[in-house]
Amino acid sequence: MSGLSLFVQQSINGLTLGAMYALLALGFTMVYGIMELINFAHFSVFMVGTFVALYTFEAFGIFGQSTILHGLPLIGVLLAVFIVTMTVCGGIGMSIERFFLRRLRAVKGPASMITTIGISYILSNSVLLFIGGQGFNFPNPIPPVKFNFGQAVMQVEQPLIWVVSAVLMLGLTYFVQATKLGKAMRATAQDPEAARMMGVDVDRVILTSFFLGSALAGAAAVIFGLYYEYTNFYIGFDAGLRAFTAAVLGGIGNVPGAMLGGLLIGIIETMTSQFISTNWAEVVIFSILVIVLVFRPAGLLGRVAPNKS
Amino acid sequence: MLTRRNSIKAAAGVAAAATLGVASRAEAAQTVKVGISAALTGADAASAARQANGSILALMNANALNEVPGVTFTWEKFDNGTATAGQYDPAQAATNARKMVSDPSIVAAVGPQMSGDGKAMSPILSAGHLITITPSSTNPDITDPKFAAIYRPADNHAPVYFRTVTTDAYQGPNMANFFAEHLKAKKIFILDDSGAYGVGISTAFEGQAKKKGIQVLGHEKLDPKNPDYTAVLTKIKSLNPDSLYYGGVTMAGAKLAKQSYQILPNIHKGGGDGIVGSDFLTAGGFPAIEGWYATIAGPHLVGTASKAVGTFTQQFITKFKTVPDDYAVTGYDAAWVIVQAVKKLVAEKKPITRDNIRSTLLTITVDTLQGPVAFDANGDIKSRVVSVFQIREDKAKPLSDPNAQYAYIGSAPQA
Repeated sequence: MSGLSLFVQQSINGLTLGAMYALLALGFTMVYGIMELINFAHFSVFMVGTFVALYTFEAFGIFGQSTILHGLPLIGVLLAVFIVTMTVCGGIGMSIERFFLRRLRAVKGPASMITTIGISYILSNSVLLFIGGQGFNFPNPIPPVKFNFGQAVMQVEQPLIWVVSAVLMLGLTYFVQATKLGKAMRATAQDPEAARMMGVDVDRVILTSFFLGSALAGAAAVIFGLYYEYTNFYIGFDAGLRAFTAAVLGGIGNVPGAMLGGLLIGIIETMTSQFISTNWAEVVIFSILVIVLVFRPAGLLGRVAPNKS
Repeated sequence: MLTRRNSIKAAAGVAAAATLGVASRAEAAQTVKVGISAALTGADAASAARQANGSILALMNANALNEVPGVTFTWEKFDNGTATAGQYDPAQAATNARKMVSDPSIVAAVGPQMSGDGKAMSPILSAGHLITITPSSTNPDITDPKFAAIYRPADNHAPVYFRTVTTDAYQGPNMANFFAEHLKAKKIFILDDSGAYGVGISTAFEGQAKKKGIQVLGHEKLDPKNPDYTAVLTKIKSLNPDSLYYGGVTMAGAKLAKQSYQILPNIHKGGGDGIVGSDFLTAGGFPAIEGWYATIAGPHLVGTASKAVGTFTQQFITKFKTVPDDYAVTGYDAAWVIVQAVKKLVAEKKPITRDNIRSTLLTITVDTLQGPVAFDANGDIKSRVVSVFQIREDKAKPLSDPNAQYAYIGSAPQA
């Protein structure tokens, strides 16, 4: 394998990984931007999403890699899985806000954050208890098509991941920038009190941000499952921690920052494995994070947080 | 050697127990409790349950047959797996070892399943004079006299960790011989899962592979919790190996099988007993795992002509509604060895204490399902058979049936 092919191949790998981190990072950043809360339950919402997607595929009679679909049935099944998973995950996110965090909103200090950590463990241990701790073979009905670029190989799932991520991120950007509810979200992010006084329904805005962030985690869960064909009850922690790092690297609260951070972390992780050693990936990721934060404490694109004056 | 009379007796014993069910044990004056530990939670849960159930079946049979007159065997299961680790957890294993030691009614133990747990438990068990017999943990350090000060500090370094399987000092190197002699491997890349077992077996493999003239292109560690191995596999691809060896258990193994199927489709891939079992089959799935080689650190028994193993298999299926694997047999054997040690103590009218069980184990040879089992001065089994399998899909049988999906190839050439 030539040096160039190898570089192309690792870039394909890194971009794919990064796109997933970016989708996941958006959920952290949206909630933080509006509430200044780090929602650690996001890890487990993503993990639950992989199981929702797995069972939705199985409801269509697709188990493991034995059923390959083409054309309209493939698109139909994938769409259905995305919609079901994103809706269920969005619902879980909303429930977390409505039933736990809303009651704690008036409480100062880290109570809300600790609650999200607790919910995260409750979700992952519930999956462990009711579904099991073993690894699961995630169904994949996509034909095993591969494209060659020199000696580099691209699986068909990889461009699919890029397209899905790009569409969802652009959709989110449009929603935040151009819709009335998006405007209300930005207003709440700037100053919740003033927004409330101007007639913004802050509860609804917060609920929406939880729904959107969690639905994106659901989308990330589907593409994660299709790409790795694997899931397990702990799968959210490692990916979630890196996605959170991505959000901080890009500037927490900042939507484009989360995308940039996700892609960067994906590429850094891949290139570290290639040129140093896979054991060093975490060391390098977190070293870069520390260095960036020392020189740009607000992250690469700057931090966005509610004005609590 | 296993005499014909003894093997018939063992077979008859198992058969009799099957028909008797729970026999009356009116004269049971003494109860003997055995602690059974395995990673019952997490990525290797199915294999752990098979192994623990094998041991439990041996104790049930001992009670049903009244194998030791006046003694009833009871057991307590200890789960070494935790939700936070997602697989075996040495910290939990240490806690369990302390619990066992502090329970005076426990006089012997079976387990653990994993070497990482074994390393954590052995020093504690040593201090508590409590022996354990592992049916599957194979890291050689635990019983190596070089490390006696670490793993068996108490009682003048008396052995505390016994095994009914051999160690990775044979499992790794014998497999390296198999790669060199049967697969004609010339250039290999080695991966491990950073665990005690994975590092040990892959290092032992590497040493012998080099001796056999195989070029080792590299040896890297995988983080078992990281979902993504595509980068390291791409790097391996760029080095053009003809083979890949993986030392480790299912958690990283299943993901490795999945991703290497995409990135390194046409090379020989193999591992140790960490990837033998239904957990690996169901998590990896076909076609990803097709063609993988794997070993166990003992003889292949389930599904062979052995009548005693056949009866055991039937009993196991009736009791636990699932098929046993070879480490369910070694699990049975481990508990059966304890039963026979207790029997000897009773016959010699010695008290059934932890220390007496240890000294008995060092002298007896027990006829078990795998044949005669005897231990050397360190607690290792004297037999050193390593069996090689290749995963070949049997569509007629369930994916989770290890006996159907792992095709037995033969025993690996001795190192």
